[in-house]
Amino acid sequence: MTILVFIQSLQERKLKDAQMRATINQKLVETGERERLKELLRARLIECGWRDELKAYCKEIVQQKGLEHITVDDLVTEMTPRGRSLVPDEVKKELLQRIRTFLAQQSNM
Amino acid sequence: MSSTGCQHLQAYKAAGGKETFRIIYSYFVACSSADARHKKAQICKCVVCGDYRPRLHACLSCIYFGCYDKKHIHQHAEENKHHLAIDVSYGIIYCFVCGDYVYDSELEELARAQCHRASASLGLKQKFFPWEPSEEELILLRCNPKRRRVTEASHIGLRGLINLGNTCFMNCILQSLAHTPILRDYFMADQHACQATDESQQCLVCEMARLYQEFYSGSRTPYIPYRLLHLVWTNARHLAGYEQQDAHEFLIAALDVLHRHCKEMNGISDSNPHHCNCIIDRIFTGGLQSDVTCKRCNNVSTTIDPIWDISLDLGPGSIHSSHLLPSATAAASTAQTPSTGNTGANNGSSGNSSSAPSSLPFASADITTHSPSTSFTNSPGNYEPTSLVECLKRFTKTEHLGNSAKIKCSKCHSYQESTKQLTMKKLPIVACFHLKRFEHSTGYHKKISTFVSFPEELDMTPFMSSARCSNGFNGQVLRSRIPTLTCDNKYSLFAVVNHYGTIESGHYTCYIRSLKEQWYRCEDHLIKRATAGEVLNSEGYLLFYHKQVLEYD
Ligand SMILES: [Zn+2]
Ligand SMILES: [Zn+2]
Ligand SMILES: [Zn+2]
Ligand SMILES: [Zn+2]
Ligand SMILES: [Zn+2]
Ligand SMILES: [Zn+2]
Repeated sequence: MTILVFIQSLQERKLKDAQMRATINQKLVETGERERLKELLRARLIECGWRDELKAYCKEIVQQKGLEHITVDDLVTEMTPRGRSLVPDEVKKELLQRIRTFLAQQSNM
Repeated sequence: MSSTGCQHLQAYKAAGGKETFRIIYSYFVACSSADARHKKAQICKCVVCGDYRPRLHACLSCIYFGCYDKKHIHQHAEENKHHLAIDVSYGIIYCFVCGDYVYDSELEELARAQCHRASASLGLKQKFFPWEPSEEELILLRCNPKRRRVTEASHIGLRGLINLGNTCFMNCILQSLAHTPILRDYFMADQHACQATDESQQCLVCEMARLYQEFYSGSRTPYIPYRLLHLVWTNARHLAGYEQQDAHEFLIAALDVLHRHCKEMNGISDSNPHHCNCIIDRIFTGGLQSDVTCKRCNNVSTTIDPIWDISLDLGPGSIHSSHLLPSATAAASTAQTPSTGNTGANNGSSGNSSSAPSSLPFASADITTHSPSTSFTNSPGNYEPTSLVECLKRFTKTEHLGNSAKIKCSKCHSYQESTKQLTMKKLPIVACFHLKRFEHSTGYHKKISTFVSFPEELDMTPFMSSARCSNGFNGQVLRSRIPTLTCDNKYSLFAVVNHYGTIESGHYTCYIRSLKEQWYRCEDHLIKRATAGEVLNSEGYLLFYHKQVLEYD
């Protein structure tokens, strides 16, 4: 019985979280903040060499497999884990801080 | 990836798809109006599962939204024979028949124009794009096939400098400048367009450019900087001669000559020296704010002066307040050059003994000193600072000027006691801190060898004018509401100049950082690997920090 209640409340929380995420996403899109964040992220990733490094890796993969035998999907699958792991912590922190600040300003949420 | 192009996309375009593409692009990919953004926020989610995360696609035939990861857009394409869909995050088109993303230059052109409008509508600056070679540069690259790749293991950019007879003070400064990231990029990108027409007009900027070429040529033999030395001698007479000179004085003189040559050669008018846009000023100039508050009426008079470096006192609180006097007089003659920030709240009577082209930041303040006093009512700290941060705290602390240094208040129209506080209004890209280890007082000269710790990473936020509390004469720098996590005002250490020995006879060496976290010790022609610990434990005379984050303008 208690287990069931626990699972129910967990599911409720999950649902609430999902709704919250959707609302935040809507706000970010509506205000244009999402574009601003994207641009900031883009600039930071170029600055820290992330882009160059992934570009080089990308070239390597294409050369290995041959241009005719590779799709964007193949590349995405191969690149994503490395791309994720190479994002510097400072960049993540800065972005998180920006999102927090943005949410704090949205009083109606 | 097919290089022949997608016939399905061509057919789509031929059937008038271009306009549909444009509308979808401007409403769901790059919005240029609040209305479009609102629609995008409401509508952009997968019809099947409601997902709105990256890789959501819109059908280019019927504007159906489906996610890519769970293949809901694939289902739609299959069932309706709608072959093309656009990724709403990236704006690229997928063809379900070809089984890959496809490209079309005409649609890309449309997309680019729309992206431009979208950024403009949000007040975003033009997107930053990394360098791509132009046609001309491509030709140059083809003609010069030799490439040098900078890796973790490469020693490129490291080169010793021959000592030309007590010129270690110069070698240290040259090493520090050679490893100043943005200055290096400026010279390596061949940005100095020299206007010097004949050989007789020798330009120090060109000579620096040559130094960078020599440093990055890959040659390992020590370089002999005799032309540079000669040029500095002819342009800064007080440094001429084969005696040991002060590295700090040399730095300021070198920056001054470089700044003058940039200007002369570019023909920019001399009329507004504080707004010089030369590479030296763009990198080294900060704005020092001085707030003088009348103790009677709390009226604040604020002046902002350009500085190239910050000189910090190391001794115990000063017992003289007469430092305002020499500065006020010295300023008149050399007001053309940004000051060396050489004053601090407690400069004492020291003053740099010699003729470094420093104008002190009180030049424009309405200051009258009645007579040199022998005591401070509230000297900003009667203690010897043991860290750079403490030095900076003292530098920016409110100072009571005492009743012997009354200042004419523009509100009271009379001479009143006041307080003064220095803060950083504008941070330079490269912050150079000068620890005043040499004391020149009447009757004696001595070197202060106290250990002053300095960090590898420095946050200047507490010393900014914006952190200053404006509640009247108590004006204190508030250190509590420092925003955390932003790295806007953070700096990284990249060079340290050290002086060994006594004031009469000594030797300069320096540590420079090449690549990330790789330190080297430079002693004239000798260069050795060093550890960060070694650097941070050194005495420190000049400390060079560069900003971690730069704003684009
Ligand atoms: Zn196709
Ligand atoms: Zn469709
Ligand atoms: Zn879906
Ligand atoms: Zn030149
Ligand atoms: Zn200048
Ligand atoms: Zn007053």
